[in-house]
Amino acid sequence: MAAKRDVRLTVNGVAYEASVEPRMTLVDMLRGELGLTGTHVGCEHGVCGACTVLMDGRAVRSCIMLAVQADGAEFMTVEGLASEAGELHPIQQAFIEERGLQCGFCTPGFMMTIHELLQETPDPTEEEIKDALGGAICRCTGYESILKSVRSAAKKLQALG
Amino acid sequence: MKPVSFEYFAPTSVADAVSLLQEHGPEAKLLAGGQSLVPLLNMRLARPTAVIDVNRVEGLDYVREDGDALAIGAMTHQRTVERSELVQRVNPLLHAATRLIGHPQIRNRGTVGGSIAHADPAAEYPAVALALDAEMRIVGPNAERLVPAADFFVTYLTTALEPTEMLTEVRVPALPQGTGWSIQEMTRRHGDFALAGAAVTLTMDGGACSDARIVLFGVGATPLRVQQAEERLVGERVDATLMSEVGREIKTSIDEPLADIHATSEYRRNLAGVLTERALVEALERAA
Amino acid sequence: MAFEFPKSLDDLPVSKVKWVGKPVNRVEDPQLVTGKTEFIDNVTLPGMLHCAILHSPHAHARIKSIDMSRAAALPGVVTTLTGEDAERWTRPMYTTPQGWGGYVLATDRVRFVGEPVAAVAATSRYIAEDALELIDVEYEPIDPIVDAFAAAQPDSPKVFEDHDDNIMYQRIFTWGEVEEAFQKADHVYKESFRWNRVGANPLETFGIISEWDIVEDSLTCRGSFQTPSFMAMGRAATFRLPSNKVRFIAQPHGGSFGGKGGGRGTDITLMLSRKAGGRPVKWIEDRMEYLSSGGSQAWDRHYDVSIAVKDDGTVTALRVKLLDDMGATAEGFGATGAVKPMASFTGCYAIPAAEYDLTLVATNKLPVSPYRGMGPPPHNFVLEQMMDIAARDLDLDPAEIRRRNFIPADQFPYIIASGNEYDSGEYEAALDKVLEMAGYEDLRREQEEARAEGRLVGIGVVSTIEPGVFDWNAYTVIGTAGIGIPEGVTVAIDTMGKITARVGFALEGQGQYTVITQLLAEYFGTELEDVRVVHVDNLSAPPNFGPGGSRLGVAITGAVLGAAQRLTEKLTKVAAKMFEVQPEDIELLDGMLRVKKVPESQLSVRNVAAIMLNRSDMLPPDVDPSPQATFAWTAPDRVEPDEQGRVKSYLTAANACHLVMVEIDPGTGKVEILKYYIADDCGTRLNPANVEGMIQGALAQGVGAALLEEYVYDDDGQLLTASFMDYLLPTIHEVPFPEKAALVTPSPFTPLGAKGAGESAIHTTPAAIMCAINDALLPLGVRAKEVPASPNRLWKLIQGASDQ
Repeated sequence: MAAKRDVRLTVNGVAYEASVEPRMTLVDMLRGELGLTGTHVGCEHGVCGACTVLMDGRAVRSCIMLAVQADGAEFMTVEGLASEAGELHPIQQAFIEERGLQCGFCTPGFMMTIHELLQETPDPTEEEIKDALGGAICRCTGYESILKSVRSAAKKLQALG
Repeated sequence: MKPVSFEYFAPTSVADAVSLLQEHGPEAKLLAGGQSLVPLLNMRLARPTAVIDVNRVEGLDYVREDGDALAIGAMTHQRTVERSELVQRVNPLLHAATRLIGHPQIRNRGTVGGSIAHADPAAEYPAVALALDAEMRIVGPNAERLVPAADFFVTYLTTALEPTEMLTEVRVPALPQGTGWSIQEMTRRHGDFALAGAAVTLTMDGGACSDARIVLFGVGATPLRVQQAEERLVGERVDATLMSEVGREIKTSIDEPLADIHATSEYRRNLAGVLTERALVEALERAA
Repeated sequence: MAFEFPKSLDDLPVSKVKWVGKPVNRVEDPQLVTGKTEFIDNVTLPGMLHCAILHSPHAHARIKSIDMSRAAALPGVVTTLTGEDAERWTRPMYTTPQGWGGYVLATDRVRFVGEPVAAVAATSRYIAEDALELIDVEYEPIDPIVDAFAAAQPDSPKVFEDHDDNIMYQRIFTWGEVEEAFQKADHVYKESFRWNRVGANPLETFGIISEWDIVEDSLTCRGSFQTPSFMAMGRAATFRLPSNKVRFIAQPHGGSFGGKGGGRGTDITLMLSRKAGGRPVKWIEDRMEYLSSGGSQAWDRHYDVSIAVKDDGTVTALRVKLLDDMGATAEGFGATGAVKPMASFTGCYAIPAAEYDLTLVATNKLPVSPYRGMGPPPHNFVLEQMMDIAARDLDLDPAEIRRRNFIPADQFPYIIASGNEYDSGEYEAALDKVLEMAGYEDLRREQEEARAEGRLVGIGVVSTIEPGVFDWNAYTVIGTAGIGIPEGVTVAIDTMGKITARVGFALEGQGQYTVITQLLAEYFGTELEDVRVVHVDNLSAPPNFGPGGSRLGVAITGAVLGAAQRLTEKLTKVAAKMFEVQPEDIELLDGMLRVKKVPESQLSVRNVAAIMLNRSDMLPPDVDPSPQATFAWTAPDRVEPDEQGRVKSYLTAANACHLVMVEIDPGTGKVEILKYYIADDCGTRLNPANVEGMIQGALAQGVGAALLEEYVYDDDGQLLTASFMDYLLPTIHEVPFPEKAALVTPSPFTPLGAKGAGESAIHTTPAAIMCAINDALLPLGVRAKEVPASPNRLWKLIQGASDQ
């Protein structure tokens, strides 16, 4: 077994330090070492997108990154969306109102992907939404309500300015 | 699905990366974007003793104009290329190919060098590298060399890179003004690896074709340049009949492609021809 | 005692319905969107170990030896497990049909790639997987039996040596004068079809944490169980333990669709815990395990179908011969999927005679599991192709031939040839609605224009039945026991007037907790926030089964309304005493118990509950101080099947009509869905947004089945689709967003008139898409008979046409 290495990272504004084996995946560190279990594991080979988190603002699949690669980076996960007081983020509100989820297992990954999309494209077209979400699989909703959720979230965010 | 144990190194310079490769031998693996490697690690299909993570190597993340070419650092993310106005202006074929790679989350991590060095025969970058006469800058223990794409892709997942060498830059000549281009591929789903594809450039001069490039992907062990088909076009007035003929000839002329569960060899051959014809049609429309 | 359930929303004890029937937001969602829901892999227990399972790399082999010593010696490995342990501690797996299985870990022989052979428990999953590589198994490969037709031959090599052959089940069911109908028919049409394996693939795989208390020999399992009580009973049988020593706690889970699997993983982790001195052992099935050895695969079918038709298009008989490849064992209830089509054998049509020639065969592949729809989706695919084949030959429009054969609206309740009773329906109205939405005549004109340009454009119009509210009697013919499936709830009102509903099933995605909340807030006149639904373990819950067979929405509605009624009876007695009147003088309305003739004499439900809990001096002598009531509902009037398997099994018959327009790219064979319209009638919609979600989600799965998804085995029995790179789930790019209309024909048999709606569009979508594809191919004179209609397959068909 290879020697453990120290990883320092920031997740949702909180600084963490963990000591991990080099082979540990980022998602296993987030969930197992840091206790941030809102990010889910769906396939562990980078296809389903359930484990998507934001790394330095970019949506990445945390099951196909090594934890040691996270050293020095800033992350945002689903736990970072709502305010500390528990007020839901507009994306979360939109998902509830538009029924963007059923079982909810893929939802955190979708929401992080959408977060990146709406940061860069505040008023996306249907094609832009589909392009952004094409790498995320939902087995429950058939995607229509997710598309509506993105549109609704975009409106909410624009209204907030 | 957890990787085997390995040693991990994160060099900050090309020289350090190369000396780590020397030190750890062929059982070491370079980790770039990791979008192909880490799934293989998780499945334990890749079992390196050492992983040399080159994400912290400085100075390999750039897209710049260098004379008549684009110089792209090997660790440049595909997403950067996708968003680069420079790339879009100087080489729209490269730009279009980038948008066909996986999905945004893949392109956020995936790198230009990683994709080319991985040399998946169904991938877009190796194909356009060959179609565009790209050159790979390779750094080894003792020397640096430039390898043209035609010599770079050796066979399935295998390149001209020696075990102790590292790809540092990809130089892609600008697409000459007026050259038409197209990349066409067939996938089961949006964003999947292509069952087959064709990247084409077409230069027209006074109504006749002065230069043509046709590169197929997904149909052989490497991207496949079809010179015979190119020659059918050069000097000719390119019309629907000729493009259709070229497509048809490709179906019968190329070596039998590998079959898998999604496509038989026969079907892949057909796709190669159909997609080539479609790419030619589009390239002709774009050609000045 | 016969309970009188409210037949419609108007019968609820409110002056104006406020919650039920409305698309209220789901109570489940705030936790889910914040990542706080406790899926099983989020749970960590003190001292917990991690299990990894070694799977067979061979489809068929004798196990000569297993040496666990190197694995056991790896630091971090606490204990190991092989088939010897399973033989010592468990009974062979329960199977349907019976007698077609082995132990949860292979003993002398492996019968499919992926079969569990050994397991380890270690301090981390990483170490556990390292240990698997140190297990030395010596296999002696045997020729695998992969082809279903070959396997069904009497001289075939055998999957199980102790059986005479590989036939798990064979029977011909005959309903009515089938032979006569075929002899008298003006036209007989025959065709063969192939439906390849597809399956559930919830985004969360199966997961479990098992604890074996070695002092009192009791079990506690937490996991993603679709049917926790049912699984608990199974473990008691497997381990020969008293059933009240088996405690199952279902965690919320990330989808199931019938294919969660997990039986073997449960028993393996339990035995590991036992060997590890009772430490909790967690196993999270990874995706490759799910695909190759989990509850992932269903419906591997070869069909020969014929129909007898009169000149006017009336279908007089249907014959279906099915060879269904079960894989190696009958452990996963997958066989029920071959029997379920009997609940809607003749679809929406009044076909008086039918025959089902059914053979279930064993091969060296993964045993099949249930999957959403449970079996009719492939059956509907073949039936609907036959309808179109007849229509073409008789020069009838596909919509018209269906219209001519529909069960008329005035014939309900209607007993179909195969014995099930349809409760209600307006099939022609649904068809008309779809044709109107689509502008059918214009679409056909568009199609003509496209054809004139040489484009391959086709339209499919298909109506199907979704049998809802399953009962075990549907499966008596292949050996399941019992009639009736109780689904219970306990409803309690506390001293603050807050309502708690306790149920035996966990969140899975359908929004059932929201429905319960709506019903109780409505019934007792509260806000939604005043109701909370909690899951309790199998030892604490009233009798329950959980979701399955499009059943839970109706069943839990019956349970909630029954419990509410019982609770109201208690409250009424207390209120009657307070007002010094008789209980029959009291009524519940808008959350108030009031004297019927003196409406201003009223007490709130909250106040009466508080009196019950805090003022025993005021209670009538026959009322205990407990404002709680339990009720378990099951479908009424269920009996045993007759000698031909005919039985009223599924209580409700929802109906949907889909119209889809596709275009096939002749160069690549790729199908593009151009237009899609749905009219859906599942009776009263308790929460219309829930129903819409079921339709759209099941549509996506139907698109997957029709165009993308397929488990492929090679001739050696190796699975070639063991990852999401090769097993292709639809993404947002592949799924259409149809225009949808709701029709409401209430069920006369269910509380509030709701029908089972959870399986939904998967019944119709594959059939409709395949009809559209065949319509597109019509000018070429070729027919797509295999699902999925992959680009390669369609291209080859088109190629075959142009080669002629």
